[in-house]
Amino acid sequence: MGLDRRSFISLVAGGVAGSLFTPVIWKTLDDVSIWTQNWPWIPRLQYGEELTFPALCKLGSDAYGVKVKTVGGRPVTAEGNPDHPLSLGGICPLGAASVHLLYSPSRVKNPKLKDGSSFKDITWAEAEELLAGKIREAGSNVAMISGDETGSVTDVLSGLVGKAGSDKSFFMPGESAPAAAALAMLGGDGQVGYDIENANYVLLLGADALGSWGNVARNGKAFSASREKGVKFVYVGPAQNGTSAVADSWVPCNTGTEPVLALGIAAVIAGTSRDRSSWPGFASFAKFVQTAYPLDKVAEITGVKAAVITGLAQELVRAGRPLVLTAAEAGQGLGAFELAAGMSLNMLLQRVNAVGGVRILPWAPKVVEAAADRKTMFANDLVAYLSSVADGGAEAPALLMVYGANPAYALPNLTKAQAAMDKAGFVVSFSSFMDETAAMADLIMPDSYAFERLDDAYSPYGSGQPNYTVVAPVIKPVFDTRPAGDVLLVVAAKAELDLGFESFEDVVKAKAEALGADFDEMVEGAAWVSEEFPAQDLALWTTPLQELAVAAKDGKSLALAPVQRLKIGSAKIAIPPFNTNAIRFDEMLGNDMYVLLNAATAKNLGLKKDDAVKIASSGGECKARVRIFEGVMNDTVVAPLGLGHTAWDAFSRDKGDNVYKLLAADTEAESGLSRFATVRVTVSKA
Amino acid sequence: MQAKEFKVKWGMLVDLDKCTGCGACTVACRAENNLPPEADAANKLRTNDWMNIYELSNEKPFPDHEVAYLPRPCMQCGHPSCSTVCPVVATLKDEEGGIVSQVYPRCIGCRYCMAACPYHARYFNWFDPIWPEGMEKVLTPYASARPRGVVEKCTFCHHRFMAAKEQARMNGEDPTELAEDAYIPACAEICPTGAIKFGNLKNPEHEVSKLAASKYAFRLLEKLGTDPQVYYYSKREWVRKLGDNYLKNAKGGEHV
Repeated sequence: MGLDRRSFISLVAGGVAGSLFTPVIWKTLDDVSIWTQNWPWIPRLQYGEELTFPALCKLGSDAYGVKVKTVGGRPVTAEGNPDHPLSLGGICPLGAASVHLLYSPSRVKNPKLKDGSSFKDITWAEAEELLAGKIREAGSNVAMISGDETGSVTDVLSGLVGKAGSDKSFFMPGESAPAAAALAMLGGDGQVGYDIENANYVLLLGADALGSWGNVARNGKAFSASREKGVKFVYVGPAQNGTSAVADSWVPCNTGTEPVLALGIAAVIAGTSRDRSSWPGFASFAKFVQTAYPLDKVAEITGVKAAVITGLAQELVRAGRPLVLTAAEAGQGLGAFELAAGMSLNMLLQRVNAVGGVRILPWAPKVVEAAADRKTMFANDLVAYLSSVADGGAEAPALLMVYGANPAYALPNLTKAQAAMDKAGFVVSFSSFMDETAAMADLIMPDSYAFERLDDAYSPYGSGQPNYTVVAPVIKPVFDTRPAGDVLLVVAAKAELDLGFESFEDVVKAKAEALGADFDEMVEGAAWVSEEFPAQDLALWTTPLQELAVAAKDGKSLALAPVQRLKIGSAKIAIPPFNTNAIRFDEMLGNDMYVLLNAATAKNLGLKKDDAVKIASSGGECKARVRIFEGVMNDTVVAPLGLGHTAWDAFSRDKGDNVYKLLAADTEAESGLSRFATVRVTVSKA
Repeated sequence: MQAKEFKVKWGMLVDLDKCTGCGACTVACRAENNLPPEADAANKLRTNDWMNIYELSNEKPFPDHEVAYLPRPCMQCGHPSCSTVCPVVATLKDEEGGIVSQVYPRCIGCRYCMAACPYHARYFNWFDPIWPEGMEKVLTPYASARPRGVVEKCTFCHHRFMAAKEQARMNGEDPTELAEDAYIPACAEICPTGAIKFGNLKNPEHEVSKLAASKYAFRLLEKLGTDPQVYYYSKREWVRKLGDNYLKNAKGGEHV
């Protein structure tokens, strides 16, 4: 019997159709999915009642309200808090990852005492006795470093140091200190804030306001709302960043010379026909800026064309409610005189204590009597102190206590800072994480994490209005940790130093009462906000005017533009486990970070894409690879702060290099503050 | 082939003139949808990012250079390339709202869908998803954890859609007429500059539908005919051109 073509096709088609009626194929496909889904451990989802609790995020330089979502009592995610004035529903990339840090591999799970090159576990009772003993032994030779400018734990720690007879209470570098000193130079007193929401023209001199500077979440919301109203944003800085990407225009300006540009613009405005002769300090200021900062000189220093400078001045004068915001690209490193330069522009435009202008906020009330107040602490320069200790110019503290900060990683003059900490008799770290400072400390008294403790924040730097936030714990401590505020009060009592409070909650209640805020309402989620601004009697300058110090170009070195990107961490926190994916392939190759050069600069140096390079300054050296990016000024190298950790965990350790090593600081004569915004470096093939 | 039409069509619009590339959306997406942390994630060849942010450049030399940031979730295409090639019907567009689903237990990991997707919006689980000890406690109850060997992708936080519908039914409201803020994916909710808008493209009262009709709105690789439900918005012409893979040096200045 033959098989013709028709029969053959019928047979095949029938066979195929028939096979679909057998379970074999379907079973096989089902099995394939099981074979391919090969996993030794499959978590079952845990359900439960869903609630949200107000909390604070202090992982960046800011402090703002978030809402932590819990499921069956377990925190699972964090979102912006629409009811908080510094969040308005927004959140930064660190806040978005904040819940997972509860269980970070870097958490310090119990008190630890240095034992040779490692640590041994001790009990809280032992740790408290030990620290109390060290306080008694040290007498007045104690010092403290805090990374939290907004919270009352700093007051308790500073109170402890003050009660022991020491005035060595320090903050990590930032812009609050030079801003306060700048305001003092102009005859003012208070905390500087910016009413971005109500400005109709915002000139950002260096400030990466939408990426890393100040109240990032609130700045973002203000920017977003401004878009609908046609408000113009102009970003001035050496490199394009997140802020410049969405600003109406980017004005390239040499690193750290934005204050020179401010004085150049001021010279143009001062030269307009408007009669300002009766303004306090105007005559000497106008003479100074017009003599010291003629257009051609400013253009040469800043790299901004004279016509652009004039154009910016005209736009500012024409705008009804302009606001000038001056900051370093990395949010630190400018001196007081430089911030005063930016402030003087606001004064010339009559934008101080005006709607949509610069606002002067009152200082936080002092409730711990022995503590140094904020103004005093901002005047104490940590970088200079540690450098002096390292060089033998100052006595090393017998006891150094560190809270909410990582000075062994995130300070300019880093080598000296580390040497000074080595010289200290006994170092105590109140850190939730095994950061570089904790790793080198003699005693770690692990602070409960943000969502495990009562905490507060008064008007983070840049806030447009006075505000105060208090949050209750969302969850009990998941490890054997305790809130630093309470631990310090217990230790103070053991050391027989009376700070006037028995619990940290009492301290916060006293502060709320001093502000006229309702503690009970605040722990439920309501933030306290005030519209009262102390009257200021400002003059354009009350201290001698001087030319800004600008690092000289030598034709061989490049200007360093250190930048902060919150997605990869901050001075306080390393890359959170959930943030590694936010790093783009053009930001890191393997474990090598990229620094950015434009093509012309790279060509001059004989460098091309992906070349391994060594970057060196008088402070130290870093390794990196080259990425060609045309959004960078000539003869400038952009390098990210926040990488190159030596402690922490697999999500951050040994990724990139620590650019703080390159930040060599000098001292501003007038204010005594350290400045490091105009560092010059050499870039060569590694 | 005609796209399947739905009464409700959920759409996203990303305003590239507001996006600063900060990365908050990427992190929020991971947290909400139980994507595991990855220690080595800068190399994107084997990472898992439902929401990825690209940096766009106008490719002009300094100082004429401009930059923009483009967050890229799954496009939830009207004509999904992925579902047509899936041999086991693990991915489909058949639910009201027009969200392209992905049925993880059915996926055999053949990765045809990844090859077909022109947006690189699908990700293969190359590795066992491992949370550091204790971190599994923050797993949300919203998205089941996916095993190694499975392809996954953005779902517009579909669980939030389900919850919003449920809430509407409980309130005695029509679940097909959800208010604009009743259902918002995690990325859109968290964006600090409000760059990501979300809503029903077919509801003229939703902002997304108005913005999507703007002359400044565009979709990625629109000429491929995939009919994405994710729109982008920029007043910058070079950004819009890049969105459609415009190549100035291509033959005839056309698309390739």
